[in-house]
Amino acid sequence: MKRNRAVALTLTTLVAAAGLSACSAGDDGGDGPVTISIMEYQQTRIDIVEKLIPGFEAEMKEQGRDVTVNLIADQLNDEQFKTKITQQFIAGEAPDVIDMGESLVPGFAGAGYLAPLDEYLEDWDGWEHYYPQFKEASVRQDGKIYSLLNTSGVLNLFYREDILTELGVDTSQPQTWDELIERLVEVRDLTGDTPIVLPAGSAWGGGTWNEGFQPLLGGTDQDYYDPETGTWDLESPGFAAVFDLYSDLAGEELLPVQDLLNPNPWQPTKYEKFPAGEIQVAAQGTWGWKFDWGPEGATPIPDLTEKVSTWQFPGLRDGDEPFGWLNLGGVYTIPESSEHKEEAMLLMQYLTTGEPLAEQLVASGAASPRDDIIDVKPYADEPELLQAGVDQETSVFVPTGDGSDQIAQAVASATELILTGEADGQEAYEAFVRDATELLGPNLVKE
Amino acid sequence: MTSTLDVPVSAAANTPPLPKRRRQRNGPLIALLLGPSVILITLFIVLPAFYSIYLSLTNTQLTGFAARDPQFVGLDNFTYLLSNADFLGSLGQTATFTLFSAIIGQTVLGMVAAILLSRPWLRGKGLFGAAVLMPMIVPEVVASLAWASVLSNNSEGTLNRLTGLFGADPTDWLQVVPLTSIIIVNIWRGVAFAMIMFQAALEDVPAELIEAARIDGASAVQVFRHVTLPLIRGPVFLYLLLTTISTVGVFGLVYFLTQGGPGGQTRIAAIYIYERALQFSQIGIGSAASIILLVIVLVLGIVYVRLAKVEV
Repeated sequence: MKRNRAVALTLTTLVAAAGLSACSAGDDGGDGPVTISIMEYQQTRIDIVEKLIPGFEAEMKEQGRDVTVNLIADQLNDEQFKTKITQQFIAGEAPDVIDMGESLVPGFAGAGYLAPLDEYLEDWDGWEHYYPQFKEASVRQDGKIYSLLNTSGVLNLFYREDILTELGVDTSQPQTWDELIERLVEVRDLTGDTPIVLPAGSAWGGGTWNEGFQPLLGGTDQDYYDPETGTWDLESPGFAAVFDLYSDLAGEELLPVQDLLNPNPWQPTKYEKFPAGEIQVAAQGTWGWKFDWGPEGATPIPDLTEKVSTWQFPGLRDGDEPFGWLNLGGVYTIPESSEHKEEAMLLMQYLTTGEPLAEQLVASGAASPRDDIIDVKPYADEPELLQAGVDQETSVFVPTGDGSDQIAQAVASATELILTGEADGQEAYEAFVRDATELLGPNLVKE
Repeated sequence: MTSTLDVPVSAAANTPPLPKRRRQRNGPLIALLLGPSVILITLFIVLPAFYSIYLSLTNTQLTGFAARDPQFVGLDNFTYLLSNADFLGSLGQTATFTLFSAIIGQTVLGMVAAILLSRPWLRGKGLFGAAVLMPMIVPEVVASLAWASVLSNNSEGTLNRLTGLFGADPTDWLQVVPLTSIIIVNIWRGVAFAMIMFQAALEDVPAELIEAARIDGASAVQVFRHVTLPLIRGPVFLYLLLTTISTVGVFGLVYFLTQGGPGGQTRIAAIYIYERALQFSQIGIGSAASIILLVIVLVLGIVYVRLAKVEV
C-alpha cells in the first residue's frame, strides 16, 4: 500500500511540475521576453524577411521590449501552403504572423481563423498612408479588416516585344480582343507556336480565377458580386463573354492547351516557353519583373526590360476600354489563436513601413500599397515598379467576399472543359453555373 | 478427396478451447498484450472513421462563413456525389487503375516472378529477386521522382532516350498516356509484394502432388492450372484483397506524377477526395466520398473472402 502511495505521490509531483513548467513557458508576462513566429513560404520572401527580422528586434530593444522573432521558412507552392495553414488554423497552431495571398483572406476570415485588425490600425499612423482603394478593398463582408497589405501591383499582358518586332507584328496597345486575336493568329502562322498563355483549368489552382478569369471578367462586368447582399450573380453577362473568349483562343489554337493541362502549368509556359520566346504573350502581374523573370527570379530573361513590355488587357465587349487589373498581392495576417497579437502587429507595422517595405517590394517585384514609399530606396530605383504603382490608381478591381473559393473551383473546372475540347464557351458557362450553384448554396447566389 | 480451405487459415481452429480457469488466469496478460494495439486502433482508425461518418452527414467546410456553423444535411452529400459526373468518373478511373495495375498486372507478374524463382534451373536467383524487390523498398517519393525522370517530356527523359534510338520524337508520356503511365508505375511498385506472397504459397504446395500429376502425363500448364493454382487459391485471394485495398487508396504516387490530370484523366478517387476535402475545403463532401469508397472496398473484401472458400 505504502509503495502505491509513493508511486502516486511521485506521479502527482511530476504532473504538477510539468504543468507549472508548461505554464511558465506559455506565460511571458506583460513586459517580459516574448517570442513570436512568422511564416513565409516563398523563397524570395523567406530571404528578405530573414534579412529584416534583426532590424525589428533591435527597434523593439530600443523601445524597451524584448521581442524575438522566429522565422518559419517552409518552401511550398500556393496550394500546399493553403492546405497546411488551414490545418494549423484548425489545430490552433498557426504562427503569430502569416504572410499569404490576399485571395485567401475572405475564406479564412469568414471561418473565424483571423483576428480583426481594426483597433490596431486605428491607432497606427501608417494606415493613413495606404491608398484609399486598398483600404476599401481590405474591408470584409462583416465590415472588419483582417489583413495588412504588404505588396500590390497590376495584372497586365506581358509580351515579347523583341520577338513581335522581329516578326513584324504590331506592338501598339490592342484596343479590343478581336484586334489582339488577329495579331496572335499572325504570330501562330509565322512561328507555329501557341502564342498566349492565360491561366486556365484545374491544374493552375486558384490562379485560374485570380490571375486569369477574374481580371478579364472585371474589365467587362463589375456587377457579378454584390457586396451589400454578399451574393454572386451567376447570370451577370461577363461570365459568358469570358468563357467565349477562352473558347475562341483554344479553338484558334492560340492557347498552349497541353501545357495548361500539365500538373504545374506555369512551368512549361511562364518558366520555359515565355523566356525562350516560344510563347509571346502572358497574363502576368507586376511580380513578373522580378519574381519570375528578373535577374534573381525563377527563370531570368537577360535584358528583360528591353525584350519584354506590357499591354493593358484589351476591351472584351462593345464599349469596353483597355484596362489593368489591380492586384492585391500579399498580406500579413494574425490568427485569432495568437497569444501575442500586439507584438505580431508591431512586426507587421515594421515590415510595411519605410525601408523594410521598400526592400520587400523590390525583392518580390511589387508596387507599393502606400503613398510614402516612392522616394525610399531601393524601391525608388525601380522604374517598372514605380510605373506599376502609378498604374494602380486607374486599374480596375472588384472586391468580393465569401464564396470566392467555390467560384474559383467552378471556373477552373469549366475552363478545363474548354481545354479538353469537351465544351465550347456556352457549354462551359452552363457547366460553371451548375457547379457554382451547387457549391455556393442558396445563400450566396443572387436570385 | 474433399477439403475446405478458408482464408485466412486459422491455426486456432484446430486447437481445443482453453479451460475457463486458465483463460481467466491469462486474462490480464492478454489484455496487456492486446491493449496497446486496441487503444491505437481505436484512437487512430475507429474513432476517425466514426467522425468521418458524422462529417459526411454535415455540410462542414474548412473556410468561409459556412465553416463557423456546420449544419446536419442528412444524406445530401451522398445524393450529390452519386449524381456527380466527376465523382463517378473518379470511381471509374479507380476501377480501371486497380483492375489493370493491381488485379491483373501485379498479380500476373508477381506470379510469374514467384514461379521463376521456384525453378531449380534458374541461375542468379538472388540478383533477380533483389531486382524485383527493389521497387518495394524504395520510398514512395523516391519512386515517384525516378519515374518522373523516366517519363520526362524532354529528350533527356529515360524513355524518350530509348525511343529516340529508333528515331522517335520526345513524347510527354504523362500527358499523352497518363493513366497507362501510372498503371505501369504501380505495377512496377507492387510486383515485389505479390512475388513474396506467391513464393511463400508455392513453397507450401506438396511436391508429391505435382510429381503424381506429372507421372499421370499432365503438362506444366495443366499442373499449374489444376494442381498448383487450386492449392494456392487462398493466398492468391488474400493477396488480391490486400492489393485491392491498398491500390484503391493510392494517393502519393499519382499525385506526384500527374496530380489527377491532365484534364482529370488520372483523377482517381483518392485524388478527388483530397481535392474536395483539402483543396476546396469541403470536408463534408470529402468525407462522404471516403465513406462511399470504404463501402465499395468492404463489399469487394467480402466478395474475395467468399471466393476464397474453394473446394480442392
